[in-house]
Amino acid sequence: MNDVRPGSSPLPPHLRGAVSRQPTYALVGNPNCGKSTLFNALTGLKQKVGNYPGVTVEKKTGTTFSQHGHPITLIDLPGAYSLAARSPDEAITRDVLLGRRSDTAQPDRILCVVDATNLERNLYLVHQVLDLGRPVIIALNMMDLASEAGLTIRASRLEHELGVPVIPCEAANGKGIIDLRLALSRPEIALPRHAWNIPGEIAPAVSDLQASLTADDAKAPLVARAEALLLLTDRDSVRVAGSKPLSARTAGILAQWEKRWEAEGTDWAGVLVNSRYEAISRLAADVVQAPGVSGRSTSDRIDSFVTHPVWGWAILGSLMAVIFLSIFTLAEYPMNAIDALMAWLSDGVRAAMPAGDLRDLITDGAIAGVGGVVIFLPQILILFFFIGLLESTGYMARAAFIMDRLMSRVGLNGRSFIPLLSSYACAIPGIMATRTIEDHKDRLITILVAPLMSCSARLPVYLLMIAALIPGERVPLGTKVGIMLLMYALGTFGAFGFAWLFKRTLLKGAPALMIMELPPYHLPRIRDVLMHMVERAGMFLRRAGTVILGISIVLWFLAAYPKASDEATGQEQLAQSFAGRAGHLIEPAIRPLGFDWQIGIGLISSFAAREVFVSTMAVVFSAEADDEDTEPLRQAMLGASWPDGRPLFTPLTCFTLMIFYVFAMQCMSTIAVVKRETNGWKWPLFQTAYMTGTAWVLSLIVYQVGTAMGWGA
Amino acid sequence: MTPEFQTIAALVVVAVAAGWLLRRALAKRHNPGCGGDCGCAADEFKTKLRR
Repeated sequence: MNDVRPGSSPLPPHLRGAVSRQPTYALVGNPNCGKSTLFNALTGLKQKVGNYPGVTVEKKTGTTFSQHGHPITLIDLPGAYSLAARSPDEAITRDVLLGRRSDTAQPDRILCVVDATNLERNLYLVHQVLDLGRPVIIALNMMDLASEAGLTIRASRLEHELGVPVIPCEAANGKGIIDLRLALSRPEIALPRHAWNIPGEIAPAVSDLQASLTADDAKAPLVARAEALLLLTDRDSVRVAGSKPLSARTAGILAQWEKRWEAEGTDWAGVLVNSRYEAISRLAADVVQAPGVSGRSTSDRIDSFVTHPVWGWAILGSLMAVIFLSIFTLAEYPMNAIDALMAWLSDGVRAAMPAGDLRDLITDGAIAGVGGVVIFLPQILILFFFIGLLESTGYMARAAFIMDRLMSRVGLNGRSFIPLLSSYACAIPGIMATRTIEDHKDRLITILVAPLMSCSARLPVYLLMIAALIPGERVPLGTKVGIMLLMYALGTFGAFGFAWLFKRTLLKGAPALMIMELPPYHLPRIRDVLMHMVERAGMFLRRAGTVILGISIVLWFLAAYPKASDEATGQEQLAQSFAGRAGHLIEPAIRPLGFDWQIGIGLISSFAAREVFVSTMAVVFSAEADDEDTEPLRQAMLGASWPDGRPLFTPLTCFTLMIFYVFAMQCMSTIAVVKRETNGWKWPLFQTAYMTGTAWVLSLIVYQVGTAMGWGA
Repeated sequence: MTPEFQTIAALVVVAVAAGWLLRRALAKRHNPGCGGDCGCAADEFKTKLRR
């Protein structure tokens, strides 16, 4: 074999490991190896975020400093398991490292972040990176967790075998960061001496491609070798805008070899991958000392129950029930306090100001609108506390495992779980998280069904409707929890049902496999959970203080103008206002669902955001109420009636409204994000139509069947 | 505070709120997130982007 290997000479000067100017390091690593934590630990706030041109993949660069105060640039590349890219973000990592991108210079050096608890798996990417023959430093992250798992990692042995600096560290605790900074500051870094034996039947093709890539594609010899190996394994190569295409000669050589192997029946990619795995396996056996086989670990024993086909579902259901039970019981006192505060504020303004539009705007618009939403803050915080708690113990990965049994049956990709899970908080981060899904059709299916998961903006609507469910008495706790569980289950199973339908009709494709790790259980970090809760509280209050406040003010105007005569009642004033006219306009379409024009105002306004429905109801029923009346929203709603005197909010109407909100696409921000992620209006319009159509049809069925059964009274 | 003054003041507040909402809806977003309400981008990045 006459190819140039890493560590062999001669090497061109730019590859000798020494960088005279400000060096640029690319941070690479598997997903969840702690790469971003390490990037944050090294750069602090000295970061810049942008996008790679042509794709919606974040480009994060930052600056750290050597021990002499010289700046060092770091590029945080998207996580990848291999340089054989399967998704646009993995393709970015591959193309930047190979110098294929015209918008990003090839980094001088590479900082490879490795999860010490999963060294063997992480070494596959390391192995490919070392093939590039560029100066590499390995950060052996999560050493504390490896130690807890009883693993002994011989870092010096790994360093010796690979010929590159290996720095053990714990990015989350800030341990080893100084050592790493010192390593990054080295003026010269030895080039990897590591090489592996390319199987004999493939080696001539690698040499041919390497020569062509060097001569015709202007690649440095080592990059050309790595690129040649990649071309032979990366059969479904993802090409993204900004990456340079291959020269015609190289593409011709590749096609020629592939044709020959196909004729011989040689699985060339399989041969290469297996050969690499064998080398990695030998290396890992030499470097990692696993604990003696002493039976199953504690995590394994817990998992035998938690991931059991029957007990697993029972535990998941029980946990959800406990969470909702806590939401309703623990939040009662702070909610009453917020309610009292809003009433006190409203009464204070009424006492301090003479009657007039400004006073009405403050009390019926701003305080009623914002207060109507803020009152649900305690319940939302409790929900996020429990989600954070489950995440930090490692249970969420088990929940993903249990759900995957169902997801794989409906044809959803295993990688869809995290986007769908994120969508319980908000569909927008969920939709953005679909960028890690390699298959375009699977990604689109996940985007289309993600907004069906009940997001936190639906929570205030559900809670208000549950509170108004039984007129004149308190709703039993068991009923509240049961209905809440039902709403979340309806959204989840609705998403799975539509995914199944799309997978078999619009977006046909092969079923996907799920490969995931179950991290060991550990005690939750309460500080992190509380910080997450505080962050969510800040976001919720910011939203209430800005968007909800703005919409409440505009809604007050729409409900108060044009003015009726002085003798008009609140109901008459609202009916002939702009909002009332809009509500009347859509009433024929929603009357079969049991909704009148006042609810119609809420349905229209909540297109801005679902929780605006609650503030709209607060504004609508405040506008109708007497000037001096500050009765809670629930009572005001329960007092509302149809023109013939029938109560407007019956238990059936409340339940139908909840069903409508489970399925309706009532969120402009989500529509905008789907438009951007799918690069056009076709899919967001389809999504809005199918979701809102489903919401209407199901609400119609529920209301009409319920009425026929005599539940409408 | 006369009722007429209150009406003018209320309409000014409504106009400001409507203008702000409109501007927010039409503004070109620099970051790939939702605009800052759902936690889809880390706070420190948003701070940097605002500068």
